[in-house]
Amino acid sequence: MARKMLVDEEMNQTNQEEAHYDFDLFVIGAGSGGVRAARFSANYGAKVGICELPFHPISSEVIGGVGGTCVIRGCVPKKILVYGAAFGSELEDARNYGWELNEKLDFNWKKLLHKKTDEIIRLNGIYKRLLSNAGVKLFEGEGKIVGPNEVEVTQLDGTKLSYSAKHILIATGSRAHRPPIPGQELGITSDEALSLEDLPKHAVVLGGGYIAVEFASIWRGLGANVDLFFRKELPLRGFDDEMRAVVARNLERRGINLHPQTNLTELIKTDNGIKVTTDHGEELIADVVLFATGRLPNSKRLNLEAVGVELDNTGAVKVDEYSRTSIPSVWAVGDVTNRMNLTPVALMEGTCFAKTVFGKEPSKPDYSHVPCAVFSIPPLSVVGLSEEQAIEQANGDVLVFTSTFNPMKNTVSGRQEKTVMKLVVDAETDKVLGASMCGPDAPEIMQGIAVALQCGATKAQFDSTVGIHPSAAEEFVTMRSVSRRITCRGKPKTNL
Amino acid sequence: MATTSFTAPKLSSPTFQTFCRNLPLSLPIPKTLSSFSFHLSPFLSRFHLHHHHPTPRFHPRRLFAVRAESENGAEPLRHYDFDLFTIGAGSGGVRASRFAANFGASVAVCELPFSTISSETTGGVGGTCVLRGCVPKKLMVYASKYSHEFDESNGFGWKYDTEPKHDWSTLMANKNAELQRLTGIYKNILNKAGVTLIEGRGKVVDPHTVDVDGKLYTARHILISVGGRPFIPDIPGSEYAIDSDAALDLPSKPEKVAIVGGGYIALEFAGIFNGLTSEVHVFIRQKKVLRGFDEEIRDFVGEQMALRGIQFHTEESPQAIVKSADGSLSLKTNKGTIEGFSHIMFATGRRPNTKNLGLESVGVKINKNGAIEVDEYSRTTVPSIWAVGDVTDRINLTPVALMEGAALAKTLFQNEPTKPDYRAVPSAVFSQPPIGQVGLTEEQARKEYGDIDVYTANFRPLKATLSGLPDRVFMKLIICAKTNKVIGLHMCGEDSAEIAQGFAVAVKAGLTKADFDATVGIHPTSAEEFVTMRTPTRKIRQSSESQGNMGHEAKTAAGV
Repeated sequence: MARKMLVDEEMNQTNQEEAHYDFDLFVIGAGSGGVRAARFSANYGAKVGICELPFHPISSEVIGGVGGTCVIRGCVPKKILVYGAAFGSELEDARNYGWELNEKLDFNWKKLLHKKTDEIIRLNGIYKRLLSNAGVKLFEGEGKIVGPNEVEVTQLDGTKLSYSAKHILIATGSRAHRPPIPGQELGITSDEALSLEDLPKHAVVLGGGYIAVEFASIWRGLGANVDLFFRKELPLRGFDDEMRAVVARNLERRGINLHPQTNLTELIKTDNGIKVTTDHGEELIADVVLFATGRLPNSKRLNLEAVGVELDNTGAVKVDEYSRTSIPSVWAVGDVTNRMNLTPVALMEGTCFAKTVFGKEPSKPDYSHVPCAVFSIPPLSVVGLSEEQAIEQANGDVLVFTSTFNPMKNTVSGRQEKTVMKLVVDAETDKVLGASMCGPDAPEIMQGIAVALQCGATKAQFDSTVGIHPSAAEEFVTMRSVSRRITCRGKPKTNL
Repeated sequence: MATTSFTAPKLSSPTFQTFCRNLPLSLPIPKTLSSFSFHLSPFLSRFHLHHHHPTPRFHPRRLFAVRAESENGAEPLRHYDFDLFTIGAGSGGVRASRFAANFGASVAVCELPFSTISSETTGGVGGTCVLRGCVPKKLMVYASKYSHEFDESNGFGWKYDTEPKHDWSTLMANKNAELQRLTGIYKNILNKAGVTLIEGRGKVVDPHTVDVDGKLYTARHILISVGGRPFIPDIPGSEYAIDSDAALDLPSKPEKVAIVGGGYIALEFAGIFNGLTSEVHVFIRQKKVLRGFDEEIRDFVGEQMALRGIQFHTEESPQAIVKSADGSLSLKTNKGTIEGFSHIMFATGRRPNTKNLGLESVGVKINKNGAIEVDEYSRTTVPSIWAVGDVTDRINLTPVALMEGAALAKTLFQNEPTKPDYRAVPSAVFSQPPIGQVGLTEEQARKEYGDIDVYTANFRPLKATLSGLPDRVFMKLIICAKTNKVIGLHMCGEDSAEIAQGFAVAVKAGLTKADFDATVGIHPTSAEEFVTMRTPTRKIRQSSESQGNMGHEAKTAAGV
């Protein structure tokens, strides 16, 4: 009882203190992180306002939409297109299972595009309702910081609203960027790629990250010719090298032309399409050129520097472990901070922010063991360390367990594509440091594995788990023999 | 730790040589011992020490000879043809045989000739799982799932000028080619491990002798791993019914099929035939399908299957099958008669294959269901005879038989008495939609723990919002209120079987709800729902919930 009263007292104090502010919290940007922080803060009893740009599938300085990148221009529409594209090969596989299909299957891109747009509009509405149900006041317009406790929202008609807030949260996300090459205006970014009027016949994709790989898979799955250009030897820099090679092999086998260590130098408009020139002197004609060369934080028009909020050299808002900026009353979460740019991470940061500021429970987001997925076809999913990272960080030896197998479905369909799984284990502690998988259902399979890794599960605990038969996932608990042991020499033992 | 050896196999008469058998092989065993107890304590301390040292994974074959000698020193000298003779080369038998051979034992296994339909005289290397169970079933599930995928793909812009038609014979031919390939692979695996494969029907003659079609083989240990077979109750006209063996290898598509039974096999076949465009009727004795599963899962899967066109006839038991002049079958039940079936399938349980194995005559005890009785180490009532897998009717799943087989090989030939661990065994039902689960049902959890928190999610997956189909996903976590441990996890919906595996590692490791919550989701997936369940759907507390039935004692306890 004593504790309850204390809390009430504190609350009263807070309320009195905040009497001179219009809001306890004002959030700029209603994407994953902003909505989460706003709702949770409101649930803790805070008075919360949030502003967001008007809705449109293609973002700009003045266009956005409640739901943000994930819902309108990222995870959700992307996954919908991946579902649509995956049917292409699925249907091929049906033949050896006895299904008689037309030689050429019809695919209606406009239908898929419409249904995708309907779905994101529906989700946009759901997000608005989530906010209003939580008691969060939503403003449509462009937000900007005027002072450490002052925001200004420019509405559609040009009128400006000013509000004071005890705390301000920046959650404006990021936008795709184009490389500075001649003719770059002829290319598109992922925003447009998710809303193309016509399905490309021949697409060129520049970039080796997950967005590049996903769009290459989508368009190839729907029947386009795809050329993928990237700077490194393999796509997906930062992921486990062995898995990168697996992804590259799968993309190639499915008919995507890979151009490693190649950059685009120029785009020129011609009657036949866009002429693309590479730094190897190659030329090819495409009807769509996608730049998937990175994203930049949306920090330019917020007036941040004027009030003293520091940015790093990429334009990301600098924050401490609690997501606080260099101005104590201003906070930032999500892609605008360029920490780990994933929806569930922005959700985690938003939740921790609300707990820290309004839940009286200072909480740091935990970035270890964050799982993630690349929705290439077939997908890749990982959690924990790659083999290279494990070797880098290890004190002792690292054990690597791999399993490469033909998924049961392929035994009849005849598809030549192996699933690859991998566990990286600390030889001394037996802890599983990293898990990765490339193959059907990898992202669904990895989630439970991520729980186990989050809690320091050992290889012995994996081994003691009985398999679910017949599944692909059971391989993770039946890897009996070590593929290789890497002796991490030359490192001083810390326990001596 | 020193007591480890005493929790080893329960022996009817703990003689010295049987005690020895459970000790590390490399120990120098005294040739003469006048008193067992006299040497017991130094013995145990050495065992203790040894136990903590990593045992080499593979014993070279020669080491094994040392062991045989040592044992021979303790028991009358006897030469055996094999260290282990396994009857039945299914999942459990092959696993035990291979592992035993890897540990240095000389091993033979016998198996009946290959056929897709099992009988007293036919079987095949690979066993039920590979030839008449998991594998062909899953291949049929893949084939049948396509009709749903065609429907889904419409919502994603795909179009078919003519409705996709299914050619039954192509599927059967490709499926059987795969089974032939797999049985070959299994033979290879045995061969590579150095296991002698004998084709024929094995029978136990005495505690150390097996008869295979008239030829006798002696063995230090005999393993029975002959599995189970479908059982059709004896009702008038039951000769017209088919079982799952036959259902996996029908010459043509069943136009209208009755499936009798509400267990997982019945549901899986209902999904298969429904997907391959048969008219499907399921007859179940109870009000709901899948007795023993979580009640909410039972309701959910029944609804989802009905939405896909399967007709359920609840509380309806078969009484007779009548064949009419046109060859069609009628099923008479306690509620009436339904006519016009091309096939009637019984999925009414399986029975252990323990008949005509000579078991009773050598003293191996069999329970009233026909299953071999074994102790925690899979030892039968005859010390030299062991049994694993479905023939013991413990948990009848391939991975469990594998676990039992592996444990047995360790116990017998790696000096490491090992009990299979039946806690948190995950399992799946490949119905459409499928089910994945691990741990306790809500009903079991209530009984065992009293105070539990239940989290549920019932949602329309992203794919369904585009396809427009009425598919949904149901997920459930059951938490022990006192310890916060996740004690049960259930899911019905696409990919459930694949999703449950990773969580099974977490549940087996005894992780808590807080551990689940601390895990970041993978977006967008269905699985992420399991780590983002924030509010309990209900909290069940003994004190408030149990007033009616738990009575006085519980209430008093809660009051204090």
